[in-house]
Amino acid sequence: MSELGTKKSSRLSRRDFLKLIGAAGTGLAFAPFVPFGNFMPNPNQASLEKVPVILPDGTQANINTYPINHAEVITYPATGDAALDAEAFRKWQFIRLPEELGGDKKDVSAIRGYSMICLHLWCLWKYWPDEGRKRGECPCHGSMYDPLTGTAFVGPASLQAAPSDTLPKLDFEIASDGFVFVLPPKFNANENGVIGYGRFA
Amino acid sequence: MAVSLERRTGAVAFFYWLWDGIDRTIFTAIKFSFPARFVSPFGFLGMLTFIVFIILGVSGALLMFYYQPILDRAWDSVQFINDEVPFGFHIRNIHYHGSNAMVLLAVLHMYYQYFSGRYKIRNEVLWMTGVILGVVTILEAFTGYDVIFSERAELAISIAASLTTSIPVAGPLIRDAALGSGFSDFVLRFYAQHVFLLPIVMLGLMAVHFPRFLVFDVPMVMAIGGAILITGGVFPIDMGFKFEPTVPPGVTVPEWYLTGIYAFMRTQYDKFVTGLLWPLLFIISIVLIPFIDRYKKFSWRDRPLVTAFGITSLAQIMVTTYWGFYISPDISIPLVERLVIDPIFFYSTMILLVPLGFGFTYMMIKLANEAERKSKLAKSTGPKKVATINLSEKWINWVLVALLAFQVFLNIAAYNAALTGMKNLSLFFIGIILLVFAAFFHVYRYSISQEKNAPPPAPAPVQEEKPRLAEPAPSPESSKLPEGDASKAKPELKELSPEIPAKTQADLGVGVDNNPHIGSGDINKP
Repeated sequence: MSELGTKKSSRLSRRDFLKLIGAAGTGLAFAPFVPFGNFMPNPNQASLEKVPVILPDGTQANINTYPINHAEVITYPATGDAALDAEAFRKWQFIRLPEELGGDKKDVSAIRGYSMICLHLWCLWKYWPDEGRKRGECPCHGSMYDPLTGTAFVGPASLQAAPSDTLPKLDFEIASDGFVFVLPPKFNANENGVIGYGRFA
Repeated sequence: MAVSLERRTGAVAFFYWLWDGIDRTIFTAIKFSFPARFVSPFGFLGMLTFIVFIILGVSGALLMFYYQPILDRAWDSVQFINDEVPFGFHIRNIHYHGSNAMVLLAVLHMYYQYFSGRYKIRNEVLWMTGVILGVVTILEAFTGYDVIFSERAELAISIAASLTTSIPVAGPLIRDAALGSGFSDFVLRFYAQHVFLLPIVMLGLMAVHFPRFLVFDVPMVMAIGGAILITGGVFPIDMGFKFEPTVPPGVTVPEWYLTGIYAFMRTQYDKFVTGLLWPLLFIISIVLIPFIDRYKKFSWRDRPLVTAFGITSLAQIMVTTYWGFYISPDISIPLVERLVIDPIFFYSTMILLVPLGFGFTYMMIKLANEAERKSKLAKSTGPKKVATINLSEKWINWVLVALLAFQVFLNIAAYNAALTGMKNLSLFFIGIILLVFAAFFHVYRYSISQEKNAPPPAPAPVQEEKPRLAEPAPSPESSKLPEGDASKAKPELKELSPEIPAKTQADLGVGVDNNPHIGSGDINKP
């Protein structure tokens, strides 16, 4: 009797066995649909590679001719599709620093590239070279960015916790003839930053 | 392993609470039944159509993430989905083949209801909304394959727009209002109609069309899903050529549900008559069938004239559908000549099909009556023989485990195929997975219902105290696989398991009383 009893309790009842195997079968049948989730994030249409910095006038930026204390809008990564290239998430401020911040040097320390998307509410900020300003200003809510580091120092963007107080950046390379190239960025918060989210300074 | 799945705690309790709450909603009025054994899918083809509609809704919503209904971008965006987006190929093929499956299921559903006379017994409104729903389904599928804006889609759009223009008096106005004034408008408006307007109309019609008794047969639903995926894997849909206004398009034919109309139009009679009036006449006569059919009986054998009309229409649909596809491969003949169908030949074939259809119906009714008479004779004289598969519980367990192991293998195969970029192979494998799950679920529900019908375990024998000798050692198999107490009641179980008479199995699954989980009304009024 006792032998029978222990045997009974130690074994899975048939009904529970069926339920478990039914759950396993259902799980296996729908498991192949889990990777279908990869459908949803848009795969990058432009490959991130080293490309020349093309100014709005169509010429490549050259450190020997690009004015000090000056900024232009550049598009990266450019796709060739006019509609996609108009995308704010592809717009960057290409800044040559003012003299007092080392803009007169002929190397990459004189130039900066920051995402034009303000980290507060994604308006497009721009660099103002006027005397007394010399900073990035967002027209929407008055966030101001330090051109040297890309960190917000005034306004709502400056109140956001890191990494959302520092703009994503592009790294550059200057050839011996002075022409400027964008280096392939890594869009994560610890390296070049995430557009619209920020970067750990 | 003292596992109990009986306790209702946490999430399980919450789901039961939700399930009970459905009591207070509109869904109480709908009677869902989940059949515990095989039932013929003919009885719930409508439900299957609806399931495919849901699949199309989900896959279509996913495609909307990438599709761009813009004249010069539509084709490229579909190509991007097909080639670049991970699993975009899968989603697109599921959507495309799902649309074909939905049209096919809807047509089958209609003809099954037609031949079994289900539009009687005050089901006229169900029938009429159903026919309109079917027409809208075809329009939905049509607008769907047009928004790719390939060469074929462009020709289809041109035909649709020019047909609308050919409506007397108001045609051009209707065309301008509904479809717009040029291809840029057409693409955008077909898209708007495809993703919103027509689905909303369909949902509205469905609200009226839904009967109160619904059968949700999990294995059949899974099998249909699997069939769609397998078709996608074996015949992946191509992109066609991007339409360029300056390049004359090649020879294309519409989708199979429209080649019938296409054949009529290729006789080059008046566009309006062949392309709109004939189909309209056909649809109206189907809509009005419940009022034409005055037979008091339901079976197709007792309604010879109606059956003959149905058979004739089927024959004509099949012939015209094939004819619409057929374009002479001889390219030495000028294109127009290859495309044009000789109207005399065509219409005389149509007319010839009428006596053929009637004769065929007469023959079928004769044969069916004779077969019934013979089977009745055989039944009264001979022994009743029903072929059944009787597996012991142990073997059912092993079958389930084997199917599970096969699922694991197929999962790995499908994932591997997707990783190595063999998209259609992975789609094919996922289809097989769904089919195997259909089989698995069938065996599972069978054993669950056996378990429910099993008698309680026999009480412990009184003479237990006596010293027991020579108890057979448990076989290695049974120690590996838990079977529970029910295995002890095996001989009794066989007697208790419901016998399914041969007639009900053959009779399209309308088993009336031998299954406690289906009400008799569930299948009689789909």
